[in-house]
Amino acid sequence: MLNDYLTPDTVLFATDVDGWRDAIERVSAPLLEAGAIERRYIDAMIDSIAKGGTYIDLGYGIALAHSRPENGVIETGLSYLRVSPPVLLNDEAEHPIDLFFCLAANDQGGHLATMAELATLLTNDDLRTQLLAATTSAEVSTVIQEIGNQE
Amino acid sequence: MKFLAVCSTGLGSSFMVHMNIDKVLKELGVTGVDVDHTDLGSVARGDADAIFVGADLAEATENFDDVVVLKSIIDLNELREKVRATLELKGVTIPEKGSAA
Repeated sequence: MLNDYLTPDTVLFATDVDGWRDAIERVSAPLLEAGAIERRYIDAMIDSIAKGGTYIDLGYGIALAHSRPENGVIETGLSYLRVSPPVLLNDEAEHPIDLFFCLAANDQGGHLATMAELATLLTNDDLRTQLLAATTSAEVSTVIQEIGNQE
Repeated sequence: MKFLAVCSTGLGSSFMVHMNIDKVLKELGVTGVDVDHTDLGSVARGDADAIFVGADLAEATENFDDVVVLKSIIDLNELREKVRATLELKGVTIPEKGSAA
């Protein structure tokens, strides 16, 4: 399921990200292009982070950008942006982010199986370390394929 | 016994915490704890025996009883410790079979 969403089109790497707003724009760009979200979904995420919504910081330098379904989700989607150097979420020194995910959930249930896989991936020390070390979308895909073997 | 994971939107981080609490309870061999997740706006006093939140909601939930604040919501070791401490606080017996940590 994660591999259905995280494809070469939605797994991005960047070394020239200009601050957290740019990071949010860039991680959500593939979802906007694919028609999974409306433009206002990106604005909603940026607004909520600017208002102190650093809740998207999961820890270990990983952030899960998302907003509510009613803020412009068309269909469930997930995208990935690995940034180097790290970006400070909301310009706050205590929230350096190396990896941004953007989640679009179109209802209360459509994203649950994907989220379950994502939670397994990110809470497993070994897989998380491998994920952060990945430098190509093919490597990301290989790490995702290991989820099933770890549980 | 009910544990509730809460975040601002009720579908991102709170859902991850919900799944991870389930995982920890299973490891510990504890049954009879109902786990759910919701958004901050929907939670009321008395909805749960303990409320798990990320550090960003520590202030917003300070009026609730039994709030457990997590530094990282994907750190299973932290969650394991805090779930265990909460269960002990609530007088729930932990079978101790799950000492995988």
